[in-house]
Amino acid sequence: MNIFPESISQIGSEMDKLFWIITAVVGIATVITLFLFIYPIVTRKRNKTKEEMYMVGNSHGKRKWIYIGMILLFLGDMYILLKEHPIWESVEQTLPDPDFKIAIIGKQWMWNIIYPGPDGKLYTDDDIMAYNELHVPVNKVVHMDIKALDVVHSVFLPQARFKQDALPGRTITRWIKLNKTGEYDISCAEICGTGHSIMRGTMYVEDFNTWKKTMANIYKK
Amino acid sequence: MDTHKKHGFWHRYFFSLDHKDIGFQYLLTAMFMAAFGGFFVYVFRYNLAFGPNDIPLYGDLAAKQYNQLVTNHGAIMIFWVGMPILLAVIGNFLIPIMIGTDDMAFPTLNKISYWVFLLSCFVLLAGFMMPTGAFGGGWTMYPPLSVSDFGYNNPNTTFWTNFFTGNTFFLLAVALEFISMLMGGINFVVTTLNKRAKGMSLMRLPLVVWMVNIANLLFMFSVGPLIAGAFMLLMDILVGTGFFDAYRGGDPILWQHLFWFFGHPEVYVLLLPSIGAVGEIISTFSRKPLFGYKMVILMVIIAAILSLVVWAHHQFVSGIDPGAANIFSLLTIIISIPFAGMVLSYLGTLWKGNIRFETPMLWALGMLATFTFFGGFTGLHLGSNVFDIYAHDTYFVIAHFHYTLFPTVFLGGFAAFYYWFPKFSGRMMNKTLGLIHFWGTFIFFNSIFIPLFWLGLQGQHRRIYNYSAWNDLLMQPEHIMARQIATVSLIFLLLFQFVFLFNFFYSIKKGKKASKNPWEANTLEWQTDSPPPHGNFDPYPVVQRWPYDYNHPEKELDYCPQSEI
Repeated sequence: MNIFPESISQIGSEMDKLFWIITAVVGIATVITLFLFIYPIVTRKRNKTKEEMYMVGNSHGKRKWIYIGMILLFLGDMYILLKEHPIWESVEQTLPDPDFKIAIIGKQWMWNIIYPGPDGKLYTDDDIMAYNELHVPVNKVVHMDIKALDVVHSVFLPQARFKQDALPGRTITRWIKLNKTGEYDISCAEICGTGHSIMRGTMYVEDFNTWKKTMANIYKK
Repeated sequence: MDTHKKHGFWHRYFFSLDHKDIGFQYLLTAMFMAAFGGFFVYVFRYNLAFGPNDIPLYGDLAAKQYNQLVTNHGAIMIFWVGMPILLAVIGNFLIPIMIGTDDMAFPTLNKISYWVFLLSCFVLLAGFMMPTGAFGGGWTMYPPLSVSDFGYNNPNTTFWTNFFTGNTFFLLAVALEFISMLMGGINFVVTTLNKRAKGMSLMRLPLVVWMVNIANLLFMFSVGPLIAGAFMLLMDILVGTGFFDAYRGGDPILWQHLFWFFGHPEVYVLLLPSIGAVGEIISTFSRKPLFGYKMVILMVIIAAILSLVVWAHHQFVSGIDPGAANIFSLLTIIISIPFAGMVLSYLGTLWKGNIRFETPMLWALGMLATFTFFGGFTGLHLGSNVFDIYAHDTYFVIAHFHYTLFPTVFLGGFAAFYYWFPKFSGRMMNKTLGLIHFWGTFIFFNSIFIPLFWLGLQGQHRRIYNYSAWNDLLMQPEHIMARQIATVSLIFLLLFQFVFLFNFFYSIKKGKKASKNPWEANTLEWQTDSPPPHGNFDPYPVVQRWPYDYNHPEKELDYCPQSEI
């Protein structure tokens, strides 16, 4: 049984790795805490003197094990942050130069996709609009201008480990670079009304030549 | 004495200003609302596992109703079950008898707060009778969907058609509930500060009293922005102001900030009273002082303050500045440290204890374990903004917050209930039924949500009526199976609550008589009769020591009540 659906981007694989790093940190903490939980329960019937049991923990020295535990968790936390921050920077805070640009617009309850026309530029007169079908070339940086018309939607590409809310009145540009061809889902991850559960598009990741042909067909229509 | 006279039903439930009666009214009302919350979750979980048709006790479920049930389940369980049980019931019943006084500082205000709360329940339920049905835009009420089903493209134009909608009633109900909790909260804080018994210094207060007060103060600090936001949203719905309408200069993200500025501390408002009660119980049944009492209070105050500055971790992918998200990620992950201090203190209390496995202790340990191992630790996964890109709005989040809130409200709530039941009713709960209830709840709670963690990692997103559109991704046999395991477990979980109901009504009438101090605990409430008479104490106690002198070396018994020299 897989934990994750297949990953179709470099970033996605790094995010999966990050999940396991966090799980490892948490796992170590769990083992230690579980021991602290179970040991006193197992040994509850042993005889103890009142002096032994009257532990108040009213000085720093007596609380040293708690501080050690907190410091260990702090180190674990910092390790997680150290591992995750570079990924965040490359996903959300940098915008590599695009090979191709599209706009994806959420609307109750479908995805409108705007392709640039033959001139290769978005938001000109020859733009082409499609519904729920997104064709992108493999191994190319694709910029997506994400918008919504009516209510808040959220572009969720599970296999690409990509998610971005689509807001009315705002254009948010994010990028993806996918390394595997195939047909994948575009889900809406933010509740958007009665049809929320039928709001699904398909993303076709195609190698460059097939993609060029598809685009040519789209232009012909 | 006249004040100790037993009153009739009518007097007790309609006019009594006694804090114990008001607490009991809150408890019954919250149980009544929990029945709705539980029934709603049964209906929509049944739909997710076995399809929308012919749901037993319900019938067919449409997509719109599914959204309404999901929304109202969330709102009811947080605002109409969690808050009344953990703040109002624990606060009302325990604060006066734990600090050694006769009643609240403002008994009439207390009564008003209950009646306003009851009104808010009816307003919420009235939402289901509106022409367009109850509100179904998610309990977080993100506009523009919360303005109308079609955002600002609202076909209804008149004030009254907009007024008689589920959206308006939902907002009004939440507002009334907040008014009620604010009236109750100010009462608790004033009572704690002014009405303590002689000798009860702040550092001799039982932990749960501290926690209820910190929770109330946190609630008061955080709720202001939401009230402002709710007023703007109400104006958007009723008169079309457009505060959150992007096409008229508003901003839908503004609501998200205002909401989560309250919404995140709200989780701690629920958590603190519960964790306080669990602390009392663990100390009592380990027969040991609470380890690091002052440090726990300090840690909780630090966590409460930090909780005011982490709200945007709910919005990592909502379109806020990605640079700011780093700060919120850092703060969110850091908040694990004060909680680690608190949990380790509790484990230090268990260490070398003569642990007694009474029913409340099992609930308390179950609460601490599930909250820490699943609720707390998966918080690190979600606090990391990178992983949150993927996990946000999936069932991983759902499983995470149910692992924080279910232990808090129900496991911790039941721990407190079983612990203080002898005091408030004068009778003992049946232990066998209590154990059956505990294990049934604990096992099936885990088997609901562990599959949901996995489904979330598989990319199953939230609030979806029917996954058939995601045939490859989410309709494989193992996904269907996981959803069915969760649903069947939920049905068992709900059935086991009937054991509790039976035990409750049976024990309150016919249970074994409880002594003054059945658990051999130290705090003041155990020094008066069970149940305490009107006025609670006769004569009023004088406090000599802190509440956790279990196994004090200079004392012969293994406990030593606070009023004993």
